[in-house]
Amino acid sequence: MSAATDTLALALKEQEEGLLNCVHCGFCLPACPTYRRLGDEADSPRGRLHLMRAVVEGRLSADSDAFQLHISRCLGCRACEPVCPSGVAYGQLLELARQVGGEARRPPLLNRLLLRVFGTGWIARPAMFAARMLRATGLPALAARLLSGDSTPKGARLGVAMLAASGSPGALPAAADPEHPGSDPAPGGDHPAGNGTPSDSTPPAPPTAALASPTPPTTVGLLTGCVQAGLFSRVNEATARVLEANGYEVVPVPGQGCCGALHAHAGDLEAARAMARRNVEAFEAAGVDLLAMNASGCGAAMAEYGTLLAHDDRMAERAAALAARVRDVSELLAARGPLPGAEVPMEVTWDAPCHLLHAQGVASPPTTVLAAVPGLRMLPLAGAQECCGGAGIYGLTHPRLGGWIGADKVRSVLDSGAAALVTGNPGCMMQIGAGLRLRGSSVPVLHLVEVLDESYRRAGRYQPEVP
Amino acid sequence: MIPKALAVSLTGICGSDGVIADRDRLLVYESDALTAYRHRPGAVVLPRTTDEVRRAVQAITRHGLPIVPRGAGTGLSGGAVPLGGAVVIGTARMNRILSIDAANRRAVLQPGVINAELSAAAAPHGLYYAPDPSSQTACTIGGNVAENSGGPHCLKYGVTSRYVTGLTVVLADGSVVRLGGQGREAPGYDLVGLFVGSEGCFGIATEVEVGLLPVPEGVRTLLGIFDRIEDAGRAVSDIVSAGLLPAAMEIIDGPTIRAVEDSVFAAGYPTDAEAALVIEFDGLEAGLDAEAARAAEFCRRAGAREVRSAKDEEERLALWKGRKKAFGAMGRIAPDLLVQDATVPRTTLPAILKGISEIGKRYGLVVANVFHAGDGNLHPNILFDRRDEAELERVERASKEIMQICVDSGGTITGEHGVGLDKKHHMPLIYGQAELDTMWGIRRVFDPGDVLNPGKVLPEETDPAARAGWGDGAVGEDLAAAPAPAPA
Repeated sequence: MSAATDTLALALKEQEEGLLNCVHCGFCLPACPTYRRLGDEADSPRGRLHLMRAVVEGRLSADSDAFQLHISRCLGCRACEPVCPSGVAYGQLLELARQVGGEARRPPLLNRLLLRVFGTGWIARPAMFAARMLRATGLPALAARLLSGDSTPKGARLGVAMLAASGSPGALPAAADPEHPGSDPAPGGDHPAGNGTPSDSTPPAPPTAALASPTPPTTVGLLTGCVQAGLFSRVNEATARVLEANGYEVVPVPGQGCCGALHAHAGDLEAARAMARRNVEAFEAAGVDLLAMNASGCGAAMAEYGTLLAHDDRMAERAAALAARVRDVSELLAARGPLPGAEVPMEVTWDAPCHLLHAQGVASPPTTVLAAVPGLRMLPLAGAQECCGGAGIYGLTHPRLGGWIGADKVRSVLDSGAAALVTGNPGCMMQIGAGLRLRGSSVPVLHLVEVLDESYRRAGRYQPEVP
Repeated sequence: MIPKALAVSLTGICGSDGVIADRDRLLVYESDALTAYRHRPGAVVLPRTTDEVRRAVQAITRHGLPIVPRGAGTGLSGGAVPLGGAVVIGTARMNRILSIDAANRRAVLQPGVINAELSAAAAPHGLYYAPDPSSQTACTIGGNVAENSGGPHCLKYGVTSRYVTGLTVVLADGSVVRLGGQGREAPGYDLVGLFVGSEGCFGIATEVEVGLLPVPEGVRTLLGIFDRIEDAGRAVSDIVSAGLLPAAMEIIDGPTIRAVEDSVFAAGYPTDAEAALVIEFDGLEAGLDAEAARAAEFCRRAGAREVRSAKDEEERLALWKGRKKAFGAMGRIAPDLLVQDATVPRTTLPAILKGISEIGKRYGLVVANVFHAGDGNLHPNILFDRRDEAELERVERASKEIMQICVDSGGTITGEHGVGLDKKHHMPLIYGQAELDTMWGIRRVFDPGDVLNPGKVLPEETDPAARAGWGDGAVGEDLAAAPAPAPA
């Protein structure tokens, strides 16, 4: 038995001892996107747990096609966790199982390559720069429009469309109310929230910090992330602005890096731990009260640093303490109201990122945040609690199944009749955005903070005006 | 493993992704929700249509292999455990609601539709599907038909058989028959009634027509808190004797309360209580308050320390959620559990509950009770750790004793989980050989070659064929190697 198998065995045993044990009730089956589509027990959480146990019991080889196929086919969306009466910590077991599987058989080149890019700063930065340059040429957007049909491999088509979808969503609709001339549409381009000049007649907002928080401001450190920093810098900037507007002091955190979520999900736990250690040290050194997350996949990973480093004598306690201070940006905003903005007359729908709703149990704060935007109408989204098929790098590594799940999400977005989809994770934004583009739809995908940011800009909350 | 030729023909029928023949991948099909029984199937097929089921049945029986139908694998009697290298026909992909006829309050669906999703789909029409097994968020209609499933609200509304009005069934020889249908009284024999509850031994239902009910106008939900479980049992008995007809009456005992409150489904039950009694009335608004007040009074008279009523829909759903997820939450008390499913006359409840508690004490075991008290359907859950062999033995002895006192009191061995593999050896506790002979006779009409879910429901030693020395009715792991039965 390998060391990784021992660790999986230990984790299963710990859950058994801790009475967080799978009793085979099957309540997780309907929550699982892969089971719902494939109908194979082995593609359900209960089935995968059964396979993990079988490996630990020595009844199944970790190198078997069965273990490799079904463990890799899991999205890791963790929709099974909130419906589990026994409280099985499935996400943790999946990561350990992937480690076992990865040791028994080398993961495919594409998986290794993608992880390598995200995990290595000196590769990630130029790669992201190149991606941004490519995106700026408009070629990916054009290609996404042209590359329909089956001539192009699915993965490549999706990749191109994802890159195009990471671009700026463009202008949001202006308020029809002539009493609010300040709510001019923002011009398009890479800075939708920044370029507009607020009209002089916009009523100046009161000093926000004083209004929102009478106590000394809470300091927050923003995880800037790898994909987020590389392709969604506008979201990072908007996050800082809306947090500041709500009385938080956003403190720079030098030395931080990739959160390691993708590596952990892929079972490369050693790499994930190294990244976690580096971030624990960076955020500790920054001395912030709370950690702000605008990518729910990263947020879920950092909130679980305590578990990830539980067997690291030097770091375990520090990691757990840091993890306890991780907050999604929607939670931070909802805790302060948030401050209302100006009208953004638009019908939107909200898709809950799995790692926000299922892994972190954050359900209502995003709705609270959107309610602070006057004129914004929330339309229901069928299956909002189900994964979009993006699931980290899953959309790229499993283009067929990920594409199937993604197509269902795209259909339900279009059926909702919303003019824009709002969500809270870059992976979901790219996956659903790409799906919409490939369907020929122009419905934009926005990050939650982008909507609030635009609403604040229109309300003249930013003094002085951001560049 | 199945013969290569069979794998090829099944692939031709269900597609390559609809056939699982790899030994390792079959491991997950070795048990249903009762994990004490494990047998790996020879293969699994996942058809999408009646025609695919028909052709699959023909192909499998041509190779002399037995067939086990499987829904969501939430069964608690081992009914979907494939014995003898059987081929599992899974209905997970047959999950479409084919029609909802709101005016006639009828729906036609494939067997893989999840129970709760039928009610969700009917809700916009102001309708719902009444039988509500505790696993209703996961279990499928096909499984409900096979087990004649009940649920908390069956006290007033009755079990599955009352709602199934028509069936399309693939028989053992691969022929397709339509039984009943369109809600009409079918002339001739009530084959729908015969088929419902046949536990996969008579055929495979591939389309199910069910009756729907209008969503009740009003609901009142009460929660009685008791310091002694016998008192809760008495309240139930008194309420029914007084002529009240609640939609549901459920008892959740102390250990279960504590497990549920510890889980994500915490319902706000007081953790120091020894029993919580959930009582629900539904129907026309007029009269509901009076009924609820009378039931509350019976609870107080029986010794309830407190009677609460759910203030709103949210509280009502929370109360129910705690009850419905109790089985899964048991995992928080002990690593293993053995759930019993006995039904006793309601009036004997206080004595039986006391008896169960005494048996538990005598064997040093925790027995958690959560059950449909209104119809006397007990679910004593014996909690244990299978790694402790001595304890395991005590569990088996305690389980038998519990079953015995239930039968002695005029009860029976299963209320709703079915006989399956787990209870078949208890059948002679209830029936004499004449009754078992009759059942064997009916079974052989549907399945002369013993290919449909063999080894379930009826104990082999009672098989008239085996007793007369005509053949070996027993089914073991080696059946796959047995000669093919003659085609019917």
